[in-house]
Amino acid sequence: MNSAGAIILYSGAVVLGGVALARRDDSFRLGLARAVQQAVIILPRMIFALIAASFIVTLIPTEIIVAYLGPEAGIKGILIGSLTGLIVPSGGAVAFAIAATFAFEGASAPALVSFLTGWSVFAAHRVFIFELPLLGARFVLLRMLSVIPLPFIAGAIAMLVSSS
Amino acid sequence: MKDARQADQSHWPDLIKESFGKSFWIFVGVAAGTATLCYIVLDPDTFASVIARDRVLLTGLLPRVAAAQILAGFVWVLLPRDRMSAFMQRNRGKRGLIFAAAAGAITPGGPASAFPFLLILAGTGADRGILVSYISGWALLGIQRIIVWDIPFMGLEFSMFRLLISIPLPIIAGMLARRLAFMLPPESGPPANDGNP
Repeated sequence: MNSAGAIILYSGAVVLGGVALARRDDSFRLGLARAVQQAVIILPRMIFALIAASFIVTLIPTEIIVAYLGPEAGIKGILIGSLTGLIVPSGGAVAFAIAATFAFEGASAPALVSFLTGWSVFAAHRVFIFELPLLGARFVLLRMLSVIPLPFIAGAIAMLVSSS
Repeated sequence: MKDARQADQSHWPDLIKESFGKSFWIFVGVAAGTATLCYIVLDPDTFASVIARDRVLLTGLLPRVAAAQILAGFVWVLLPRDRMSAFMQRNRGKRGLIFAAAAGAITPGGPASAFPFLLILAGTGADRGILVSYISGWALLGIQRIIVWDIPFMGLEFSMFRLLISIPLPIIAGMLARRLAFMLPPESGPPANDGNP
């Protein structure tokens, strides 16, 4: 999975390492020192964040969350869709399986758009595993506050577009 | 080069202390708590399967994060940071947010790639609006995700409908991030040469 991103990371590290070496000054050593320094801080957190996230996902009964997002239409559908999207803490496989189920059960397009938007920008497990250890709690808070309106906006646009 | 030398002088004891600081123990605590809960409330088999899955995930993830750190380290040393932050200053308007959202949309891969890229971006002196717009662009408009997930599950028509609606969203989020009135802590990334002529 994600192989293209991984290839960019690996080859980027090799290429820039070569550039740093070619400078024939302290660059290569300083770059590596910086990498070790950051890794020592981030990796231990990341390992336990991943373990915690996987147990949280296992413990939360997704079926119960899903039961709330039925074929509600209109503004109520957008609200429920947004909130459901915000709290589903799982990867694409589960989120899209839920969305496809909703669609099958007759959820409105605006509610589906709200759900997928909310899940996309929040995805709690992703925040826990990557964002919190890498960027820190204050950045996470800032970003959360910035993206909270998005699922509602997306749902509202979808409703306007599909009703016209 | 002054910044870089500062980083080089970091002492191991301080580093270890920061590494195993409060937030590390919070993660350990939550992991231990949820693991215990899973063992008791669910069953030992589920517990064992989660642990097994984590081992697979971690063996895939750790090399990539290590590579990202090495890449970030070299970017940090090689990048002309004063010129870079001048560039970022010049793109403080909406244009910068649009660039960032577009960069997010074409970033390939899942969160294991996107968040390290976000960290590198933060190290270049990009402002909070750019950072939020970039990661939102990746989350909402990511082309790879749309091809792998949206279209197979939701169909082409709905996927395009959602994509078109989502185009302005990362920019809105970036603008909001710039308006929100609270300070981020000094970058864990490179110390900007603020105020030093």
